[in-house]
Amino acid sequence: MEEIEVSARTVDEAVEKALEQLGLSEEEVEITIVKKGRSGLLGLGAQDARILVRPLLQDAKEEEGETILDRQDDRTIASLPSESVMVVKGVLEKLLVLMGVNAQVEVVNTPTTNEDASVTLNIVGNDLGILIGRRGQTLASLQHLVRVIAARHFREQVPIVIDVESYKQRRYQTLGVLATRLAQKVNTTGRSITLEPMPASERRLIHISLRDNPLVTTQSVGEGDSRKVIILPKRH
Amino acid sequence: MKELVEYIARSIVTIPESVVVSEEVEGGVTYLKLQVAVEDRGRVIGKQGRIAQAMRALLKVAAVREGTRVELKIE
Repeated sequence: MEEIEVSARTVDEAVEKALEQLGLSEEEVEITIVKKGRSGLLGLGAQDARILVRPLLQDAKEEEGETILDRQDDRTIASLPSESVMVVKGVLEKLLVLMGVNAQVEVVNTPTTNEDASVTLNIVGNDLGILIGRRGQTLASLQHLVRVIAARHFREQVPIVIDVESYKQRRYQTLGVLATRLAQKVNTTGRSITLEPMPASERRLIHISLRDNPLVTTQSVGEGDSRKVIILPKRH
Repeated sequence: MKELVEYIARSIVTIPESVVVSEEVEGGVTYLKLQVAVEDRGRVIGKQGRIAQAMRALLKVAAVREGTRVELKIE
């Protein structure tokens, strides 16, 4: 299933419409607010809300077929994972078993990644949305614990990325496209745009993808879970 | 769920022998109590409670899988 873009009078209505269209519940999708709607005064200057909705996981059926092959084609599965990668993989597998999650872990080489790491451990299986959580928070927790355990074991930081069904990879692609599009809009309207709250790695991706953009600058504001990126027009 | 906490705690503390996890079930809720050596307390809590929070997040997944609820206390 692909990402869809939906407009409606309010964000809530747009979400409802999108979920209906996809036949999914709110927990099964990632919602990115492109534009918050405005009701305007007596309907004057009213603007529709626009959102991007992407299913967290693809259909199990789809997944079993070609998609798995396709996915393995565009990234290289590490042929000879180093011993330390296997240790970390073992830690992750142990955690999954103890959590009662039946899944496999594949080692993937990711030469260009947002998080400075050369190796990603991608968890594959059925019905794994629960491992991602709201805004990827459960996945962030899992990665944090694996890194802490690995750091303790090796006595040094192990920059390894944990992903679930390539969720992060797809999310980062979406955000990169969104960033470029919003930057254009900021430039044409001359007004800054504030994005929804995001985890650090996603904010970082927005900053990096617009770093060399001559027309806009970016900034993060807010604290903790409500920290978000603002894209501002560059003054000449 | 008890094993999950034990495994994580023993993997990150300096004195794994001192890790004790007790479990009590009451009214459909599993209450887990994690005890570690005093000098390891910071390690299982983490900066701004991040490790404790992460353990609770994983416990929640396990609890959902088992159809129960779980609460973790660190002493």
